[in-house]
Amino acid sequence: MSGTWYEAWQAVAGHPLFLLGLTLGAYQLGLVLYVRTRLAVFHPVLISVAILVLLLSMLGVEYLVYRDAVWPLMILLGPATVALAVPLYMNLRRIRLFFWPVLLTLLLGGCFATIITLLIAWALGAEHMILMTLAPKSVTSPIAMLVAEQIGGIAALAAVFVMFTGVLGPLLGPWLLRICGVTEPAAWGMAMGMTAHAVGTSRAIEEGEEQGAFSALAMSLMGSATAVLLPLAIALWALI
Amino acid sequence: MLLRGLTWLIVFQLLGSGLSVLLLPFLPGPIIGMVLLVVFLCLRGETGESLDMAASGLLKYLPLILVPPAVGVMAYGGEIAADATAIMVALLLSFVLTLPLCGWLMQKLIRRQRAMEKSR
Repeated sequence: MSGTWYEAWQAVAGHPLFLLGLTLGAYQLGLVLYVRTRLAVFHPVLISVAILVLLLSMLGVEYLVYRDAVWPLMILLGPATVALAVPLYMNLRRIRLFFWPVLLTLLLGGCFATIITLLIAWALGAEHMILMTLAPKSVTSPIAMLVAEQIGGIAALAAVFVMFTGVLGPLLGPWLLRICGVTEPAAWGMAMGMTAHAVGTSRAIEEGEEQGAFSALAMSLMGSATAVLLPLAIALWALI
Repeated sequence: MLLRGLTWLIVFQLLGSGLSVLLLPFLPGPIIGMVLLVVFLCLRGETGESLDMAASGLLKYLPLILVPPAVGVMAYGGEIAADATAIMVALLLSFVLTLPLCGWLMQKLIRRQRAMEKSR
C-alpha cells in the first residue's frame, strides 16, 4: 500500500533538513542573480531573505520553528564574528601610513554617523527599540546584530538596516564623493568602508588597490570601535 | 589544520562569553572574543596557517550565515510599518551626510600630513 501525494509532501516538508535546504537554495538563487546582474540592490542576503520570508509565510512556518531548524547555520555566527579579528589584524598593518588621519576620521566620522542617525530617527518619532536597532547600522552585520541586541534593539532588523545601508554605498557613494571633490584614494576608500562596510569595500576594490585596502581597514576599525564603544556609551547614558 | 583554526575561534568565543558574564556584562561574548583574538595576534606577530584557513573559510560564507537571523524580520512587520518613514529617512540622510564628511575629513588630514612632512 503506497502513500498519497499529501503524505509524501508531509514527509518532505516535515523533514529536519527541509528548511535548511530551502535556505541554501534561496541563498544560491540570490547569489546567481547578483553575479548575473552585478546590481547592488540584488544583494544576495536581501534577495534570499525576501524569498524565504515569502516562502515561509506561504507555507505557514513561524519564525521560531524556522530558527530552530537552521541551527547549524545559526551556531556559526559567533565563531564568524571572532574570525573578523583576522582581517582586522591584517588591515591594522596598513594604518601606519596615515595613522592620525585614520584615527581622527574614525572617531569623528564614527560618532557623527551614529549621533546623526539617532537624531534624525528620534526627531521623526521612532520608538526606542527602533533607535537602538538603527544605531549600529554602518558596521558589518554580525557586529551590528550583536550590538543592537545588547543595547535593546532587534538583531534581525539590524541585519536588514545594515544591508540597506550597504547597498547605498555603491549606489550613491562614488557620485557623492565626486561632487564633494574627494579624489585622494585613501580618503575615498576610508569613506566607503566606514559608511557601507563590506558592500562599500567590494565597490572600493573595483576602484583601485589603495581604495580597497583603506576601505577594508575602515570597515574593520569602524566595526570593532562600534562593537566596543557603542554598548559602553549606552551603558553610561543609562547611568546619567 | 582547518580544525585547529576552528578550535581556536571557538575557544576565543567561549573565553569571550565567560568574560562577558564575569567582568564586562555590557559587551557581547563574541565581540570580547574578537578583541582578545586581535590582541593575541598582535602579540604573536602573525596569524598562522590554521587560523587563516578557518577564518577565511568561515568569512567566505558569512552572508549565508547572516540569512537565518535576518529572516527574523518577518516577525517584526508591525514595528517596521509603524516607523517606516523614520527608518528610511534616517538611513538615507545619515548616509548622504556621513559619507562625504568622512571622505572630506580624511582627505584634508592626509594633505595636512603630507604638507607637514614636506616642510620638515
